[in-house]
Amino acid sequence: MSVTASRMLVRDWRGGELGVLVVALVLAVGVVSGISAFTTRLQTALEQESHRFLAADTVVRSGRPLPAEWLDEAASRGLDVVTTLQFPSMVYAGAENMFLASVKAASDGYPLRGALVASPEPFGEPQPADRGPGPGEVWLDSRLFALLDVEIGDTITIGDADFRAVAAARTEPDQAASFTGFGPRVLMHYSDIPATNVVQPGSRVEYRQLYSGAEDQVDAFTEWLEPQLVTGQRLLTVEEGQPGIGSALERAESFLLLAGSLAVVLAGVAVALAARRFSERHHDYVAIMKSLGSTSRAINSLYGRSLLLLGAIATAFGCLLGWSLQAVFFALFSDQLPVQPGPSGVRPYAIGAATSLVCLMSFAWPPLRRLGQASPLRVLRRDLPLEQARSLVDYAIGLAAVALLMWWYSGDWLLTLAVLSGLGLTVLLGMVLALSLLRGGRLVGMRAGSIWRLALAGLQRRGNANALQVVIFGMAIMLLLVLVLVRTSLIDEWQMQLPPDTPNHFMLNISPAEVTAIEQTLRGESIPSQAFYPMIRGRVMVINGEELPAVDDPEVGRRQRESNFTWSDELPPDNRLVAGSWWEKGTDEALVSVEEEFAERLELEVGDTLEFLVGSEPLTAKVASIRALDWQSMRPNFFLIFPPKVLAPYPATFMTSFHLEQGDKVFLNRFIREYPTVTVIEMDVVVEQIRAIIEQVSGAIELVLAVIIAAGGLVLIAGVQASVDARMHESAILRALGARRELILGGLLIEFAALGLFAGVLATAAAELSVFILQAVAMDMAYKPSPWIWPVGGIAGMLLIGGLGVYNCRGVVSTPPVTVLREL
Amino acid sequence: MIKVENLQKRVPMAGGELEILKGITLEIKSGQSAAIVGASGSGKSTLLGLLAGLDEASGGRVEINGRDLGALDEDGRALFRAEHIGFVFQSFQLLPALTALENVMLPLELRGDGNAEELARHYLGRVGLAERVAHYPRQMSGGEQQRVAIARAFATRPSILFADEPTGNLDSGTGGHIVDLLFELNREERSTLVLVTHDEQLAARCERRLQLDAGALVES
Repeated sequence: MSVTASRMLVRDWRGGELGVLVVALVLAVGVVSGISAFTTRLQTALEQESHRFLAADTVVRSGRPLPAEWLDEAASRGLDVVTTLQFPSMVYAGAENMFLASVKAASDGYPLRGALVASPEPFGEPQPADRGPGPGEVWLDSRLFALLDVEIGDTITIGDADFRAVAAARTEPDQAASFTGFGPRVLMHYSDIPATNVVQPGSRVEYRQLYSGAEDQVDAFTEWLEPQLVTGQRLLTVEEGQPGIGSALERAESFLLLAGSLAVVLAGVAVALAARRFSERHHDYVAIMKSLGSTSRAINSLYGRSLLLLGAIATAFGCLLGWSLQAVFFALFSDQLPVQPGPSGVRPYAIGAATSLVCLMSFAWPPLRRLGQASPLRVLRRDLPLEQARSLVDYAIGLAAVALLMWWYSGDWLLTLAVLSGLGLTVLLGMVLALSLLRGGRLVGMRAGSIWRLALAGLQRRGNANALQVVIFGMAIMLLLVLVLVRTSLIDEWQMQLPPDTPNHFMLNISPAEVTAIEQTLRGESIPSQAFYPMIRGRVMVINGEELPAVDDPEVGRRQRESNFTWSDELPPDNRLVAGSWWEKGTDEALVSVEEEFAERLELEVGDTLEFLVGSEPLTAKVASIRALDWQSMRPNFFLIFPPKVLAPYPATFMTSFHLEQGDKVFLNRFIREYPTVTVIEMDVVVEQIRAIIEQVSGAIELVLAVIIAAGGLVLIAGVQASVDARMHESAILRALGARRELILGGLLIEFAALGLFAGVLATAAAELSVFILQAVAMDMAYKPSPWIWPVGGIAGMLLIGGLGVYNCRGVVSTPPVTVLREL
Repeated sequence: MIKVENLQKRVPMAGGELEILKGITLEIKSGQSAAIVGASGSGKSTLLGLLAGLDEASGGRVEINGRDLGALDEDGRALFRAEHIGFVFQSFQLLPALTALENVMLPLELRGDGNAEELARHYLGRVGLAERVAHYPRQMSGGEQQRVAIARAFATRPSILFADEPTGNLDSGTGGHIVDLLFELNREERSTLVLVTHDEQLAARCERRLQLDAGALVES
């Protein structure tokens, strides 16, 4: 047969039959591949970012010197290597000033990943540096300049060697974000270690070898290295030391996957509607072709090949759209990204192509396949009903395909279930509500004016078709509402998590006598601070009479652990009880509240008895409750909280956190001179980084939301178009009978607006259900009902559908009725 | 040659069955022209549909050129139509997305005719539309559209041509021209012509007149 599929497609395209079908497919492929490419690239970038937190791709750590042969082996394999050594040491400036610092010595090339940040003067503008201090030089923590009373260019002494302070050390990529043993940093060159004579056998030091290179080389080397490690030598992986941006990004990813899944559903519905209309309009063609001698097989083959060709073209354009979407995003935001986006590979586009294939096979093919069964008798009798008997099977196939696609795409059955329950509720309520409301309209309609009578008669005459339309409009509006609601609460939650005055500095080691004075100082400088929490260091020794092993291996969960305690009569803000109950105010009972993860590691339950050692004093307490808390809140958080009376006999220091703008940081110089024993930890760089990432991810979410809204709009257009023919036909007859323009357009407006209102109300109810399941179960967020969407959903549905309906039918009043009747 | 024996058509209705054709028996010889006439609802179009194999009978037998249509399935009948039958319809039934030339080429292409374009041009020339080959149906008048349909019907050189109210949508002047063209081509091609019409003048031009009354044949 030489009526090729491509010629037919060109003819249909010319005839405007394929527009919605093609656009729906292109959007489906575009959104799915775009989001997939975007998240893949972001993930690759974050993986790099996590390497940055190691300052290398792989690191070995030990308390004893590491074999130099390992470095040689790594170098011979083409890897870059660096050695670092970290130890506490007294640092002197002249005879009077000295301070215990945390010294890090690094060889040339450090860090292998990420960058060192320094400033030309203490607390000055942080700038990334190409390299660390050279031999004979040191970088000092900003506060050390004040503590030692030195300035840039002055000499300080470590052990037997003198060094010139050339810069203020601000951050290192692998700086541990822990408060234990936090002395101010001194950075020096590795080759200067011998001259200091401070590292002796038995010293408390940490040796590290850092390696980096191409992924496969690093993997091969790690495989070679692993079997040679002995006790005390530990390989560090990228999962360690990741700061608390993880969960924000995970939720963002869930959101993007949700958005992608919804895009698939929306595009699937649009494809199905467009294909159905295409098939209805082609029934007459097929009847003519059959009367001219075409077989069902030939018809199926023709439409099958057309569909495949269409799919191939739409997939190509869709992939292009997907690529452009992520490229636009990265082009807009790459300057602000803390990391370079990685490559996306071909997988996202393969997912896009697979989506297109599934959409075509399960949404577009069923109605087209029925064309083969169209009766040739239609050439004689156009009033024959269309072959639609099996459309219920079509819906079942479509629903199964949607569920499968969503599950495959998001990899999250809870998320799939949440959306499907919303969709299910829309269908169920839609059918019941629409049918009963439409029937109920009869009584009201009898008494109404002629426009209303016309509109209500129209609504009732096509009762089933209208109920289906309400469901389809409802589904589209529901999916859009779900997305808007989740987006709003996600972004709100992030903003709440890091408001502009989020604490970005911590103050530790405040003696009880200093608390009032420091509080006054901060207030005097108008620096907002959190409450002052007492802090006591102690060690868990015994659980329920069983002594814990005294090992120092982080891999072992159930062992003696040193930790910070505090006391409080009230559950601190951001803490949530997950088991047990909080104690009564003023109790002197020996109770303790344990943080969730800490309890998990030690396998603790409410009612267990713990024995601690605080300094050299024993303390016994019973677990009263287990708490979950938000480690990203940047407020002081504690593993163990006791009633105040229980900890009263033990010596405590205090801690707090406060917010300081970059321009106000010089205050710290004065403060540290005044309170030299207080430790100040700067977290502002980290907070800013989290904020920047959240801003970028929010941007991505807005971008994706815009695309999905376009997909939703497409469904609405396809849904309106599906019923335009029948309405145009009737309106043309009315027009021929002399009906005024206002009557026809008014009737259509009321009819479509009523459908929109029903759909909007349904959608709102279903969206609330979906959002509830999504937030409460799938995304681990707090569910809040959104009463404002009820009027918004209904009114938006009314305006949108009413407007679109009248717009699509406007031709009927501007075209002679005979033309309309002849074309249909 | 068309041979019909005791042909029946019944359709299920709410209150039982409706008998549209009540055992029709007739024979039309090759090269003959026959008009099926009768009042609206007498079963004319149903008979035409069954004769052309567009519909399935409830009983009886239709044989065309020695082939029993009842023994063929839907696809078998389609292939048979492609080989032996041409159509002219009241509402022209041209595909709106195809040009005049493409519309005429369509049945030829369906048969796998290598000369489709040449033949199509020839027949469009024969109906006086050589200059309009690239036009779409919507750019043509009703009479022109019906001429395209006639060119399409004859292009495959069918042994039998069925026409359903071929002038029903045309004014009398244009209708007259179309009928002249139809009979002229029919004579040239020596095909059998079976047409359904209300038009007594048109019926009178046929060699035979088959009068239907409430589903029964009253030959005249």
